Amino acid sequence: MMKKLSIGPKLYIALCFVFFYLPIAVTMFFSFNSSKSLTKFTGFSLRWYKKLLEDQEILSAVYVSISIAVIATLVATVLGTITAIGLSRSRKVLKEWILNINNIPIMNPDIVTAIGLMILFTSVTISRGYMTMLLAHIAFCTPYVITSVYPKVKRMDHNLANAAMDLGATPFQALIKVIIPMLKPGIYAGMLLSFTMSLDDFVVSYFVTGNGVSNISIVVYNMTKRTNPTINALSTLLILSVGIILVALNVIPVITKKRRSKNVEMSGSKRKIFRRCMAVAGGVAIIVVAVFCVTRFTTMSNKPVLRVYNSGEYVDTELLTRFEKENNCRVIYETFDSNESMYTKIQSGSEYDIVIPSDYMIEKLLDEDYIQEINWDLISNKEAIMPGLIGKSFDKEGRYAVPYYWGSVGILYDKTAVDKDDLKAGWELLRNPKYKGNIYMYDSERDSFMVALKALGYSMNTTDESQLRKAYEWLIEQNKTMEPVYVGDDVMDNMISGNKQMAVVYSGDAAYVISENENMEFFVPQQGSNVWTDAMVITRDCQNIELAHKYIDFFLQEDVAIQNTIYIGYDSAVKSVYEFFRDEEYADNSGCAPDISNEKNEEFKNRDKDTKAFCSNLWTKVKSN
Amino acid sequence: MRHYKGLVKPYVIWSFLLIALPLLLIVLYSVTTGDNSLVTIHFTLDNFKKIADPVYVSVFAKSLQIGLIATGICLVLAYPMAYFIAKCSDSVQDILILLVTIPMWINTLLRTYAWISLLADNGIVNSLLEMLGLDRVTMMYTNFSVIIGLVCDLLPFMIIPIHTSLAKMDYSLVEAAGDLGANRIQTFTKVTLKLSLPGVINGVTMVFVLSISSFVIPVLLGGHQFVLIGNLIENQFISVGDWNFGSAISVILAVAILLIMGLMNKAESDDNGGAE
Repeated sequence: MMKKLSIGPKLYIALCFVFFYLPIAVTMFFSFNSSKSLTKFTGFSLRWYKKLLEDQEILSAVYVSISIAVIATLVATVLGTITAIGLSRSRKVLKEWILNINNIPIMNPDIVTAIGLMILFTSVTISRGYMTMLLAHIAFCTPYVITSVYPKVKRMDHNLANAAMDLGATPFQALIKVIIPMLKPGIYAGMLLSFTMSLDDFVVSYFVTGNGVSNISIVVYNMTKRTNPTINALSTLLILSVGIILVALNVIPVITKKRRSKNVEMSGSKRKIFRRCMAVAGGVAIIVVAVFCVTRFTTMSNKPVLRVYNSGEYVDTELLTRFEKENNCRVIYETFDSNESMYTKIQSGSEYDIVIPSDYMIEKLLDEDYIQEINWDLISNKEAIMPGLIGKSFDKEGRYAVPYYWGSVGILYDKTAVDKDDLKAGWELLRNPKYKGNIYMYDSERDSFMVALKALGYSMNTTDESQLRKAYEWLIEQNKTMEPVYVGDDVMDNMISGNKQMAVVYSGDAAYVISENENMEFFVPQQGSNVWTDAMVITRDCQNIELAHKYIDFFLQEDVAIQNTIYIGYDSAVKSVYEFFRDEEYADNSGCAPDISNEKNEEFKNRDKDTKAFCSNLWTKVKSN
Repeated sequence: MRHYKGLVKPYVIWSFLLIALPLLLIVLYSVTTGDNSLVTIHFTLDNFKKIADPVYVSVFAKSLQIGLIATGICLVLAYPMAYFIAKCSDSVQDILILLVTIPMWINTLLRTYAWISLLADNGIVNSLLEMLGLDRVTMMYTNFSVIIGLVCDLLPFMIIPIHTSLAKMDYSLVEAAGDLGANRIQTFTKVTLKLSLPGVINGVTMVFVLSISSFVIPVLLGGHQFVLIGNLIENQFISVGDWNFGSAISVILAVAILLIMGLMNKAESDDNGGAE
């Protein structure tokens, strides 16, 4: 009956698959790269696979992703299928209501679903983590199953089920033996969709999770600062395992079928494939749940727990393991991508013992009475801290914050492409028409306004609307004449690859880029800049104050700080470590130890709500201009 | 079949708790001011007035444009693909559909990174061009890169529903049309296309919604100047912290989409009404 495809369609299908698999092929290819780069292949190596197997964070994320996807898919498939069957028998009003409500999660942007669920989970005070993530995934997967199964139900011949029951089948038997088999294609499609949606979800998981539970997407997202092929290695393994399962499911039955007899009907073997699929899925689910329970029990031991919330890529995780061993405790470590998102998370009810925000955010948290005082008697390494870093304007008496890292903001440029004389213009370099189309601006409303305000000679903490408006015009003018690209942390990878000639970056990020690409150089414009400090603070609802102090003290230890700094690249708050990097390790690196003696430098202060709203509105205008 | 009426009950409760309730909370946020507590709620419409600002209107327009282009390209690419796949034998179909699905199991963010490596100024494609003696082309941070990323990510969502409707189509109808004297084009438009319409509608809505509300792909491939509705909402919730305004934008977006959905559903049911 079926015609064989001619060459044209075959070619078309092949081309489509090339398009699909091109990015995956690239991902796989670079998993074998010997260097960190994702654009230049420097040689074959398996180092990223080795790293992957050592990376506890990624491994636990894999486990979370897969177990949630399997469980959510199974629950959603059962729930969705029975609902779809019941739906076709329901009254019209109810049916339409359910279908419309059901469409909402499919139609709504993920982010809306995510925020809605987040508010919900917060208001009913469920502790956020694995359970909330699972509930959320079932919530957004089930509608996909219903929309795939329901059309099949509508088109199904209802008489068959009635006939089965007339012939003595119970409703349950009729359901299993008659109805479900008729709906199989729809159920398959629904299962596939929901498994895929769940495995790939980022936004919803990101908002509803907590207590250090993260899936692959969240880990990858937090890696944006420093992408490295570890995660490529992971996807290669994932692809290979999917391939193996595929072969197992499709080739083995064919072989066994051939061996047995040639007159087995196609539909029979299809049923067998279906059963085998279900058996495998069920088996995997059971194993996963069992493993989960076991790991839960073992980790639920009486060890004290410390919940730390830090910026992404802002600690060498080996040090966390060391701290856990030394203090016989467990660190639940979570990361955020900006001070603002951290604030959102805290506001929505997530609890932590230690948080590591920046200066102005500390000021804000202090205002809101979120932070408790440091007991300096418990910090044996207090003397190691660089003088001048304690008692900054956000914490004048030095009672609440223990400095972690500090730095400045400046321009990173390609010294082979940018004329040395042009640097004299300072921030105005960013408006030099010579470099049109060759600029990355950092997408931070605060730092971009800082650049413009400083270029105009104003304070970066101004609340004067006319000055802010002039800064806005500066940025608009720059956008029009220079066509800059506004980027996030991907600026680092871009500059390492030398995609553009200059970028506004933080000093520590510059140090990292320079260590990877020696053509780059960093300077802080003479008009002044933002000098910032990130510090460790203990929260008001900290549950283990002694351990929290130990954690802070640990990161002030010299050997710890050196190892941490090698990983992070910023300027340490520990004096001896800072000097070691300035004078030895990074002596030629202009991103390290930037000169901050300029009197025009400032640090950010917390803004009032109106100024904040005013600026963010203007910043949106600049970007979308 | 009446026996199965009760099966819908668990989902009625479930959908109220985990779908309707969160949405009601968002609506509540959208019509109130920022300093709420449970005791004092201040109602306001300012959040909605703010959306009339030309900046936000242009963001909506751009999202719509990108969404339409991405959906259009997906549809044009996906229909022949689904059609050809549906013509293969059952076992080949299963394999091809699985091949369509597998890329979706690899993290979207990762696949997007791969596009960055491909399209960057010093990326793989440009290196190849240079080797061939051609000029480099700026592809990253343009409409082009965003559309490519979106299409690659969303194509399966178009192929699968179209294929589902084509595969379940009774092939004897096509033969019957031929026997009754329809030529191939007539058979296609009057029978095949018509019977696959539910799948097309399903795919179009899914891709359209996912593309106008996506924010990770536009940010990574289009740069942060690529502000779409999704980015705007994310921004309000995460960086600005104005949940009320963010909720208002979400409400408008949801309402607009539900309206489109309603129209599409009506078109579909009118169509079925004629056929039955």
